Amino acid sequence: MGQINLKEIKSVSYEKAEVKKGYTDQSLRINLSSNDIIIDPIEEKIKDKFIGGKGYDLWLMWNAVSGDTKWNDPENAVCISSGPLGGTPGYPGGGKSIVTAISPLTGAPIDSNVGGYFGPYKKFSGFDVIQLDGKASEDTVILIDGIENTITIYEAFDLPEDSYELSDTLTRHFDEKKPVNVSVVTAGPGADHTFFGCLNFSWWDAGRKMVRYKQAGRGGIGTVFADKKIKAVVARFGAISMKANSPADLDALKIVTKTHAKEINELDPKQNRMALVGTTHLVPIMNDHDCLPVHNFKFGSHPESKVIGEDVFEHIFDKGFDGCWRGCAVACAHGVKDFSPFTGPYRGKKVFVDGPEYETVAGCGSNLGIFDAQTILEINFYCDAYGLDTISVGTSLGFIMECFENNQITTEHTGGLDLSFGNRFNALKIIHQMAKGEGFGTIVGKGIRNMKKIFAQEYGADPNFLQDIGMESKGLEFSEYITKESLAQQGGYGLSLKGAQHDEAWLIFLDMVHNFMPTFENKAEALHWFPMFRTWFSLCGLCKLPWNDIVPEDNKNTKEPAKVIKHVGWYTDFFNAVTGKNIGPDDLITMSEAVYNFQRIFNLKMGYGTREHDTVPYRSMGPVTVEEYKSRYKRYDDQLIEKYELDISNMTTQEKVAALRKNREEQYELLKDAVYERRGWTQDGIPTLKTVKRLGIDFPEVLEVLKKNGVK
Amino acid sequence: MIEVDEKKMPWSKGMTITSLFQTLNDVEYCSVVRLNGKLISRPQFTDTPVPDNSIIQLLPLVAGG
Ligand code: SF4
Repeated sequence: MGQINLKEIKSVSYEKAEVKKGYTDQSLRINLSSNDIIIDPIEEKIKDKFIGGKGYDLWLMWNAVSGDTKWNDPENAVCISSGPLGGTPGYPGGGKSIVTAISPLTGAPIDSNVGGYFGPYKKFSGFDVIQLDGKASEDTVILIDGIENTITIYEAFDLPEDSYELSDTLTRHFDEKKPVNVSVVTAGPGADHTFFGCLNFSWWDAGRKMVRYKQAGRGGIGTVFADKKIKAVVARFGAISMKANSPADLDALKIVTKTHAKEINELDPKQNRMALVGTTHLVPIMNDHDCLPVHNFKFGSHPESKVIGEDVFEHIFDKGFDGCWRGCAVACAHGVKDFSPFTGPYRGKKVFVDGPEYETVAGCGSNLGIFDAQTILEINFYCDAYGLDTISVGTSLGFIMECFENNQITTEHTGGLDLSFGNRFNALKIIHQMAKGEGFGTIVGKGIRNMKKIFAQEYGADPNFLQDIGMESKGLEFSEYITKESLAQQGGYGLSLKGAQHDEAWLIFLDMVHNFMPTFENKAEALHWFPMFRTWFSLCGLCKLPWNDIVPEDNKNTKEPAKVIKHVGWYTDFFNAVTGKNIGPDDLITMSEAVYNFQRIFNLKMGYGTREHDTVPYRSMGPVTVEEYKSRYKRYDDQLIEKYELDISNMTTQEKVAALRKNREEQYELLKDAVYERRGWTQDGIPTLKTVKRLGIDFPEVLEVLKKNGVK
Repeated sequence: MIEVDEKKMPWSKGMTITSLFQTLNDVEYCSVVRLNGKLISRPQFTDTPVPDNSIIQLLPLVAGG
């Protein structure tokens, strides 16, 4: 590791705000153009309405940008917050950071919920939320030092290129004796050349004595960060105990923390064994239910998937404690040690791979026809080191592979690369190109929405086919689930605020396997409750996995097992113990509803956020091609006869494809109607005046945006 | 004898996961089981034999990512 060179540009000392009941009530703004460092109080009414986490991020962003702001304008702001409950050691999932920016992929606000210790360290250093705006002229490192109570902006030279080495170098640089005191946020070279650069959030793994990291993956926030010439933001803080968050009722907090952690310790080994296999148990389960994306979401299963599931990763994962937050009992953030890449700059060296999680295995494995754990690990490693979102990478590569196999693009466009499904070497080549900004990788790095335009306009590809198979919604690439047989989950993707990510609603099993929501009203109710409850985790600084991935033994006997009501009660207790409030479980939903609707109106402010933007490609609804129809012909034939009451005896397969499509597209539009009504939105998908008033977000600037869009 | 969620149960010849489920309560949300350490999903329940002395865990409702 070479010597790094940091030149101090500005440094301020500050008086650290005391944390009270989960809040410091202060924000920190750093403008990279002027090097201004501004500490502001957070008003009580903002705290009441926006709660923290994503709510604070969105409020700061709303005030930072105009409706015309583009992702690479200086006023675009990267905001990072934790939330009142974030930073509770021992509470499972109790230390997440939430990051937002205007996305280069979607043009609207994007949010990502990420592990690592940055959010809590930043809060305990005195700031509930930080806002980074402006643009530096030189590479910049920012240090928020909660031990020395200083904030310093450095011009940075001779830093390592990739995230993997950069986080490690800066961690040791800023606290060589106690690296556990440091958490670093970095982008990588992939962020300089693509629209889906991610951010790596680090923590020090005391057992292995090394830096580990988790990714704020979705929507290209790393690309915005790099565009501001920020190489890293570092938070430094000392020992954390439960008292650090200054809970209103420490005893109550200890009880609920212990209760939840104990249940996970007892039940995870009997349930999904996440402490052993992370989320890789989902690979065989999705495969067996026909929900694992294979060949650009064309198929839902593949016999070779058994070599990329939990059976394999259980043996490859390095043994040890793998919590991405201190004391998290789920401890699902696994990795692989002494991995030796066979391509790229780390070829032949030994590295530690953080991952893979299910999404990476599915997106960069089965979806590309790559059924090889070693290649998936290598893709995972380089995406992290280069700072690329594995979901957008996997889904985009799947798209170009299908385009290649259908002659929509040829070797003439790909620089001679054969991009047939399964070509693992060339998939890796594209990833290396994305990091260097070379070759066809620069086109792929623009994301599917842009590729569709380029392929149609410049390469003469069929725009309708590209639209059907390009797995993006609102500009964001789909995460890795097949939704063809679950209308509710089609809505889970298409009606989500930020684009095709499943973190608002994951309803496939409830809908498709258990038929728990047969009517549009049932589906709409689920597409109201689940997005609201899941939003709550990002308001408070929490991870959602401990809510419903390990559940009480008697959960199946409750009225609505999917809600895991006992845990909802524990989260309510957790919230009350920290903040001193006295809310009930239903209030969690109302809190989220205000922020959720505010984000929808934020989309509207940016020129999106209406019905026409809630669309999904037909590949997510049903079979686009005859080949796809034939692969599940019995299911589709039965549906045409029984559900849509059609006589199919004289129909060609092509005609059946068209008939199914007509019906399924109609169903999706009916779903939109029902969801908009349930959410209190107009039929154009805009929150009504009544809704914003009920939620108390009827600020003048909000009403102005509504008025501009015909809602008075 | 087999063990289902740590409870002993009688085994019968020809038992499959589907036939076992017919004797259990509250399994409507169970779409995956772990049979002797291997994950078995609902589409395979009918065809999957349960050998004598098996250890079975009923996994809760799949919650996704
Ligand atoms: S459940 Fe997993 S991802 Fe969530 S905080 Fe714990 S270790 Fe991290």
